[in-house]
Amino acid sequence: MPSATDNIYLPKPAVLDRVVDEIHEVKTFYWHFEDAEEQRKFRNFRPGQFAQVSLFGTGEFPASLPPSPTEAETFFTIRTVGSCTAALHALKPGEKFAVRGPYGNGFPMEDYFGKNLVFVAGGIGLIPLRSCIIYALAHRQNFKSIQIFLGARTPRDLMYRDNLRDWEQSAGVECHLTVDRAAEGWTGNVGVVGSLFKKPGVQVPIDNTVAFVCGPPIMFRFVIKDLLAMGFPERSIVSTLERYMKCGVGKCGHCCIGVAYVCVDGPVFTYEQIKKLGEDI
Amino acid sequence: MRARLLNRADVLKIVDLLRAQGHEVLAPFCGRGRDTFFDTVTDANRDEIQIHLPNPYYPPKRYVLPHIERLLKVQRANGDWKIEPTFDEPKRAIFGLRSCDVAGIWHLDRFYLGRDFRDTYYDRRRKNLFLVNVVCTDPERDISDECFCLCADTGPAARDHFDLQLMDLRDGEFMAVAGTSAGEAMFAEPIFKKATAAHVEKRRAILDEVRKRFKNTTSWFPATVRYVSQGKILDKTWEEIGNRCLECGGCTYVCPACTCFTVSDRQVGPNEIERVRIWDACALQGFTRMAGGHNPRKAVHDRRNRRFFRKLAHYFIQRELSVACMGCGRCAAVCHGDVGMPSVVEMIRRATAETEKTNDQ
Repeated sequence: MPSATDNIYLPKPAVLDRVVDEIHEVKTFYWHFEDAEEQRKFRNFRPGQFAQVSLFGTGEFPASLPPSPTEAETFFTIRTVGSCTAALHALKPGEKFAVRGPYGNGFPMEDYFGKNLVFVAGGIGLIPLRSCIIYALAHRQNFKSIQIFLGARTPRDLMYRDNLRDWEQSAGVECHLTVDRAAEGWTGNVGVVGSLFKKPGVQVPIDNTVAFVCGPPIMFRFVIKDLLAMGFPERSIVSTLERYMKCGVGKCGHCCIGVAYVCVDGPVFTYEQIKKLGEDI
Repeated sequence: MRARLLNRADVLKIVDLLRAQGHEVLAPFCGRGRDTFFDTVTDANRDEIQIHLPNPYYPPKRYVLPHIERLLKVQRANGDWKIEPTFDEPKRAIFGLRSCDVAGIWHLDRFYLGRDFRDTYYDRRRKNLFLVNVVCTDPERDISDECFCLCADTGPAARDHFDLQLMDLRDGEFMAVAGTSAGEAMFAEPIFKKATAAHVEKRRAILDEVRKRFKNTTSWFPATVRYVSQGKILDKTWEEIGNRCLECGGCTYVCPACTCFTVSDRQVGPNEIERVRIWDACALQGFTRMAGGHNPRKAVHDRRNRRFFRKLAHYFIQRELSVACMGCGRCAAVCHGDVGMPSVVEMIRRATAETEKTNDQ
């Protein structure tokens, strides 16, 4: 939490270290704060929190934090959609930008100790969930079963390939992939992400389980429907919502959904809370 | 007792004192016609300051939250960014602030300085601000048909959150009440005299009389807050309100309690940019538009409702300790579609009460 004298709108200079291509229009940007003390403070973030990224002259945008606090490096995974993200994509290693944060509530991972975890992600919805998955695997003994269900449009749209390979091969986690449209060489499942729940041999635990759902609105709606039909209580389904934010600290008003400021009350909400916000998500 | 008496002729000496203390004093003036405005007091215009006048449409909110405020100056040199926060913290006093606007600033104080994050820019500006409230007592000039501070419980006499409050007791006398130690310190000046119990009684009697001069007293806030908070408002009522909104943003512009802003970077030199924040309005179409063009709040009634929902939902009232409406009536005065706060509250109350009645039968 910032002290009373902190300037909540002041971003701190950061250096871009390297850029890795993920999928079409999506890249991962490894970076660090110029000031080592800032870097140390920042690394206490929780999975599910976000940061405000400044590209001076273009503007500032909110970005999920895909790394887990258990990892050494800080990075963003960003799709080019608007002017700020395009400006970040145009940045070269060694060039400077600025970051402030972390903000938001994040996933209360400690509250989930002793539970089964089910991760359901569609497309770039994996970005915020990656943090939770890596965190959960780093604290593997604190959780019961861990299942990952991932959907992408085509095999070429699967991101974090190295992680996927690890998760598919790891004994401590069950990882299922599906694509909407197969391509040559794809031997995996074809269909929406919900179709994975009914695959032979897949047993999704309901009791004492938290389901993390993140993806495009249409995928979100159908997965929620599936999970509720399977008997998941609304409060056991968690997600992270997105809105454009100008401040990230509950002042500018842009991210309000119904009664909630996504930036300070969220971005993590249970489905039970999402239903009560009083506005479309 | 923190009340004193002063002569009508000495009232503007308060402005002189504040100026002598180094304050930039903002006071209300009359233009030609209905227009009234706050402006900086100078030797030239000092005698034209108005005590009784229609409250300016353009609220004094801008003295704590300017429309366009620079947050950062950023300079580029050898690939590095030099980021420098810039603060504007003038020593200011607002003289002649109406009670609704006192409540407005108090609302902004709780919003910008409350909860987990404290707005440094607001804080610095607010710390240097001295507020002289003038109670609305002249039914012809001070109180308009749109005023409904009685319903919002903010006036005609503010109970707190001013430094000094002045009230015209008529017969050439004013009563001064101190709200803070800074206000009380002014009483050391010889223009202030002791007030008696009779003066306090006179103040009470005038306020009783003034309260009866408000035309707009049936705003039904509590019932509306209940309906909004319980989600009882019919879609067709929201749509009806939305259909009358022309999306000019005028209501948010004149509102003393609206807080939303947007942030923008602008180039000011070859290697220099500044980051500014600018007033924004949730009633405008681009407000919730995300990168890539997706806009979760599409319909005009969604946006229109947003403003009223934000101001009237119980959840936000709990969070900010008051309805985010001060009853100043400015939105009612500027709205082309007659969907200012009083009309909306009345539309909601009527439609919802009828539905409830039908449901009960």
